[in-house]
Amino acid sequence: MMLTKVTRSSALTLAIGYVALGVVALALFAAPLWYAWQVTIEDGRIEMIHDDVQRFVEVYDRRGESGLAEFIAQRVSLQIAGDRLLFMADRQLHPLAGNLPAWPSAVPNAPGLYTLTLDVGGRPTRTLVQRALLPNGDTLLVGRDLTHLAPIENRFWVGLAISTALLCGLGLLGGWLVRRTVLSEIDTISRSVTNIVHGDLSHRLPVSERGGEFDSLSITINRMFDQIEQLVHGVRNVSNSIAHDLRTPLAELRSRLEEMVVTRPTGEELHEGMADAVEDVDRVIGIFNALLRLAEIDAGAQRSGFVEVNPAELASRAAEFYRPAAELKGISLDFRDGAEGAVLAGDPLLLSQAVFNLIDNAVKFTPANGHIRVEAVREGEAVELRVGDDGPGIPDDEKQRVVERFYRGDRSRGSTPGVGLGLTLVSAIASLHGGRLDLADNHPGLLARMVFDDRVQAAL
Amino acid sequence: MKVLLVEDNERVSRFVVKGLREAGHTIDHVENGRDGLFYAASESYDAIIMDRMLPGQIDGLGIIETLRQQGNRTPILVLSALSSVDERIKGLRAGGDDYLTKPFAFGELLARLDALIRRTQVEADTTQLAVGDLNMDLRSRKVTRGARSVVLQPREFQLLEYLMRHVGQVVTRTMLLENVWDYHFDPQTNIVDVHISNLRQKIEIQGEKPLVKTVRGAGYMMTAE
Repeated sequence: MMLTKVTRSSALTLAIGYVALGVVALALFAAPLWYAWQVTIEDGRIEMIHDDVQRFVEVYDRRGESGLAEFIAQRVSLQIAGDRLLFMADRQLHPLAGNLPAWPSAVPNAPGLYTLTLDVGGRPTRTLVQRALLPNGDTLLVGRDLTHLAPIENRFWVGLAISTALLCGLGLLGGWLVRRTVLSEIDTISRSVTNIVHGDLSHRLPVSERGGEFDSLSITINRMFDQIEQLVHGVRNVSNSIAHDLRTPLAELRSRLEEMVVTRPTGEELHEGMADAVEDVDRVIGIFNALLRLAEIDAGAQRSGFVEVNPAELASRAAEFYRPAAELKGISLDFRDGAEGAVLAGDPLLLSQAVFNLIDNAVKFTPANGHIRVEAVREGEAVELRVGDDGPGIPDDEKQRVVERFYRGDRSRGSTPGVGLGLTLVSAIASLHGGRLDLADNHPGLLARMVFDDRVQAAL
Repeated sequence: MKVLLVEDNERVSRFVVKGLREAGHTIDHVENGRDGLFYAASESYDAIIMDRMLPGQIDGLGIIETLRQQGNRTPILVLSALSSVDERIKGLRAGGDDYLTKPFAFGELLARLDALIRRTQVEADTTQLAVGDLNMDLRSRKVTRGARSVVLQPREFQLLEYLMRHVGQVVTRTMLLENVWDYHFDPQTNIVDVHISNLRQKIEIQGEKPLVKTVRGAGYMMTAE
């Protein structure tokens, strides 16, 4: 899969990058070491040669030319010289003593310190030599073999090479391990996601206790799935509810018409049957109208028609409109104006409809001898339209869901007329006006509040 | 009354033409915008029923605007499937007198059409309305039935005034909502019926002749007969 390919190459690139970085770090670490080593050894050698020369000059001073020659010959014969190169020659550069058969011609013709390749015991050897002049004009050559430290240097280089190799190996291994871990995590996620997408929407990605990056990614993805599930569930619910709410009047219509086909009524009976049929159709149309209106409000298209609205007047008119219907049920309905003349920007028809729906609900669910209070209240900068009743109220766990499209409490489904769009519509209208619908407990009963917080900015 | 119907949907036209003929109106029916404008501008009608979306270069609103520019004041009822408040406002701004969304009940169409035609006939500055022995004085805002004085709430007064102004005519619940309460939406309730019933209790006490008739599937009608 594309995903795997990309990850593989990027994991590998990452590993190689890390190895390269390691090598550079190693080089940065080794270079000063190497430099320090070189300087220390070099300086030591030069100093030792100087010391040697000094000592030979002292011997010459005490014992003269022959004494020094003897001293050198003795050292050479006793192997004290070791890998040191000692040579003493007269003015004509004829050998007097030392471990070289003849004056090496490679040495420049002036006293000083030189690094040369000399022929020592038949093999060319890299040597550091000092040519010094004795007071009687004899020449002294003191040197040290530079090659005897080569094994140490070699070991240094070998060590460096091995650490580099180890670094590369471990780095690549680490890269591969990281790649494998990352890939397996990603594979787990993508497999789970695929499973979820292809079927079980309630399934979720596993989240471990560690709380690492992949866990937070999984949590984010899970949250996304929650949202999707809720939406899908909502849509499914809506379709179910639409189907249910439309099927009932359609089924009634169908049986009514079928009955008329069978019984062939005439006169008043026929007329009545058909009028009933028309009423059934009107119910269906009413549901569609409510849906269309909701879509219209959701689209926010009506904000263009906003004017200055007096919420108290609007609520009092709605209360007045509903009062006879409430009184018919033995419910008292009163209105209280606590808005202190506040105004808000809005669509008066939509706001009226929202208040209607709230009062309508209250009237539906409040038993006889109940009370409904409609209020317009000013709370600081906010304006609220409230409808409170002392009916059964809504259980807390249902408060959120009653706002959903077509949701109807178990108690209302089947027993109370209604489409199940009322509170959804109210909520949509409230948010179109920059407000919200809040359902609270009225102790007892339901207190529905439409809260408009930012009416100041919204006011014309 | 002579009515022009401009509507391209065959089923709707047949239904409207038949219904209006039965109600005693004379109908001219055209199916496209060009003919609609031609008929509306050249003939004299008592009312025009105008669909909004029409074939033939010019749509319903275009025709209405053109007619109004020419000074033609024939009442026009706009018919449309476009139901949003914005669309309704557009229809009325163009010069339509009333706006009815499809699908509609024929009773609603007929009642609104009658109201439109009547509006041009009844003078607005009457001060006295009477139906049978029910009298309404618009200046003193007093209502009497025979010798009995009827006490009404302000809104009940408005409701009764609207019914009396449209005596002998069917008024639908929607018309009452729009004209008495100014609510231009369907509250999906029977509250209007409750208001009417309360009004009846006040103007038709025992032994008195009923004045407000319920017209099934349409609305109400005030009548002295």
